[in-house]
Amino acid sequence: MALALVVAAGSPACGRRAGARGPSNDLLIVGYDREPDTLNRFSTHILEDIQSCIVEGLTTTDEQMRVIPLLASEVPTIENGGVRLRGDGGMDVVWKLRPGVTWHDGAPFTSADVQFTVEAINGPDYNPESTDGFDRISAVDTPDPLTAVVHYKEIYAPYDIQFIRGALPKHVLQGRDIDRAQDYNRNPLGTGPYHVVDWRSGEYILLERAAHYWRGDEFPKIRRLLFKFIPNTNTRINQLKNGEVHVVALAPWDKYREIAGIPSIVVARTRGNAYEHVTLNERQFPPFEDVRVRRALISALDRERYTQTILDGLAPVADGPIQPVSWAYTDRIARYGFDPGKARALLDQAGWKAGADGIRVRDGQRLAFTLITQAGYAIRESVAQAIEHELRDVGVDVKVQLHDGTALSAIWFEGRFDAMLHWWQMPSDPELTTFFAADRTPPAGRNINYFHDEALTRLLYASDRTVDRAERKALLERAQAIIADAVPEIPLYSVTRLDAVPATLVNFKGNPTNTGIFWNVHEWTIK
Amino acid sequence: MHLTPTTLTRFVARRCLQAVPLLLVVSTLVFLLIHAAPGGPLAIYLANPNVRPEDIERLRRALGLDRPLWEQYWSWLWAFVRGDWGYSFSDGRPVVARIVERVPATLELVGVSLACALALTMPAGILAAVRRGRWFDRVTTIASITGISLPAFWFGLLLQMIFAVGLGWLPSSGRATPGEGDVVDHLQHLLLPTAVLAIVLASGWSRYLRGSMLETLSLPFIVSARARGLTERRVVLRHALRNALGPLIALVTVDAALLVSGAVVTESVFAWPGLGSLFTEALARRDYTVLMALLMLSASAVVAFNIVADFAHALVDPRVPVS
Repeated sequence: MALALVVAAGSPACGRRAGARGPSNDLLIVGYDREPDTLNRFSTHILEDIQSCIVEGLTTTDEQMRVIPLLASEVPTIENGGVRLRGDGGMDVVWKLRPGVTWHDGAPFTSADVQFTVEAINGPDYNPESTDGFDRISAVDTPDPLTAVVHYKEIYAPYDIQFIRGALPKHVLQGRDIDRAQDYNRNPLGTGPYHVVDWRSGEYILLERAAHYWRGDEFPKIRRLLFKFIPNTNTRINQLKNGEVHVVALAPWDKYREIAGIPSIVVARTRGNAYEHVTLNERQFPPFEDVRVRRALISALDRERYTQTILDGLAPVADGPIQPVSWAYTDRIARYGFDPGKARALLDQAGWKAGADGIRVRDGQRLAFTLITQAGYAIRESVAQAIEHELRDVGVDVKVQLHDGTALSAIWFEGRFDAMLHWWQMPSDPELTTFFAADRTPPAGRNINYFHDEALTRLLYASDRTVDRAERKALLERAQAIIADAVPEIPLYSVTRLDAVPATLVNFKGNPTNTGIFWNVHEWTIK
Repeated sequence: MHLTPTTLTRFVARRCLQAVPLLLVVSTLVFLLIHAAPGGPLAIYLANPNVRPEDIERLRRALGLDRPLWEQYWSWLWAFVRGDWGYSFSDGRPVVARIVERVPATLELVGVSLACALALTMPAGILAAVRRGRWFDRVTTIASITGISLPAFWFGLLLQMIFAVGLGWLPSSGRATPGEGDVVDHLQHLLLPTAVLAIVLASGWSRYLRGSMLETLSLPFIVSARARGLTERRVVLRHALRNALGPLIALVTVDAALLVSGAVVTESVFAWPGLGSLFTEALARRDYTVLMALLMLSASAVVAFNIVADFAHALVDPRVPVS
């Protein structure tokens, strides 16, 4: 068999195989870790990278997470008259659509498509992934083909990204069962730079330049994009080394050095909007209810060292849930350096005294808890071990437990854990209510710290009902200060996004959000 | 028993009937097991903060997951036996369509691998037994023990590193170069995953055949065959091998049955678009309808291949009854 391998493989040329070609303006190959479930942007629960090449939103977010217009001619604001607050507590948002945009079949893109999208998502016959925001819309008016007036029942702060996933084409989907409309879900009609040519299940999706893209016939610069599905990380990296793929989106951190060593590849780093942290479940493990204990835990961890050693300097320490890339970020909050002496003193004050085995005890209870995290992430497992080690030094016993991703989701949603090491990929809008409001514990939200602070809750709801950017920022800054003081969870580091791209790729900008790196794919070019 | 068309039909019919309660029990156990695994098809949605509890509830109802477990099982079973395998929870397409499109890739990989494995097993197993203790036996012993001990994913990655990344002779994974898949390109893609499966399978099988051959070669009828002046070649191939093949056939068919429903690890390492990859994906997403269909196919394949194995055993060894 080995002989057959050598003969069969080597005989054609006795050299490297000719099949693998470098990136060019004719074809760029992307190695992707999973196959999308559907290309319908409203139904998918996988990253929207491929979809965003085909279907465009009214707005999108750029590399600095700013909301910019795409199919809208401008982002509606109070200042430009696009947002009007009504006396009854609701609001109207006027979307002016970009003139001259057509669907790939030549039909004009109009406000009727926007109206149809809202009606389909709110209707009983379609099951999109989320109806968030849409369910607060009472009606959409279409005074002319290029104007859609969206009437909200209440003030909805993230209105500017309401249509970031685009619109459903009315002339294709009206009156149909969208969940089962496989012609659309497998090959969506869009307005974007590419359309689907071929989708081979388990293998690849091939996109080709759409005719007459609205930005002009010179866009997109690259003719074809090929997304290959390669679930095994090592295989994906081998394909990158072998030139069989040219781009690996979301490259794993523990492979950074290996990838950075490939001469034809650069690893683009994008400041992230996700943050890794330790959730402290106060309901399951009541000692976390004491703020002194929480401050002791954060002070016992040398987070700077994690980022420099385990993370290879790729990610900065995070101090809260809103990251520097967000307009709502503030650094005027309490910070906690590595100070095991302070940690011990705080635990002493809280009545936790060292027992015979060095682990602290109070009223017969040991300060011992389980830290759960997802299996298969080398970096995360290393951080978990470091936490275990450092907390033991101050008399806290931590047991690390690994679970597969799906099982982990079920565990945290049901609140059956003491502490969890994980990250939240935050939306581009800095809404924190679902994570920290007192009434948003599961199943009503994601407050899995089971943290309860009335003042913070009021501030967060007030920020959700504020459209004025400066006013909202002030509210969110106060919220961040309260969170930093109270330490309901232990922020560890801000997640930098790594994307391996060809060194010859021009105009690659990256993106910190779920919008993904392909938001400006029309201007990518190989030099 | 002598094989006639009537006995054969009776044999197959009886075995198929016996399989029905077995498959029913398997379906119940599998259904309970996959529902007992923590997290369900909706767990994957939870990481997205925009998916709110009301969305989860709505999706749960839409997928019928809000009904009691026994009711879910019963409606699945009733639909399944009538040929309605439902829709994938993951992408909303019919389960049958998702499975059918993956079958050719798996049959191709498994078929070629089984043939290669047999081609390696027969000479290696027979020669090692005939030349027991000599250099060929020692070399094949070391090689097969190495093959048995190699984890398939590691072996696959090793071959990728050598033949794709290092030497650049072969593609590292996939079934064909998209859009350019001529026959040579296709064969090149097939080579590494086939090598992994064939070597791992042949390592175990050849050991088995060697043992079985050694046992047969020591039996009195072989001694008497030699005494009658038959050539060694005839003694080994016509008399000993025929007797030694029975246990090997049983082993090969069980392995083949498991592989036909997907060479899970090898397909995953080589991004091979077969049933094994589909199973891995469906498991990660807890796509219950696809998982049930795949596992029932797998169980049915084991049953069917066992019937074939018993029949084949009877064919090569007249002492084995088919009744």
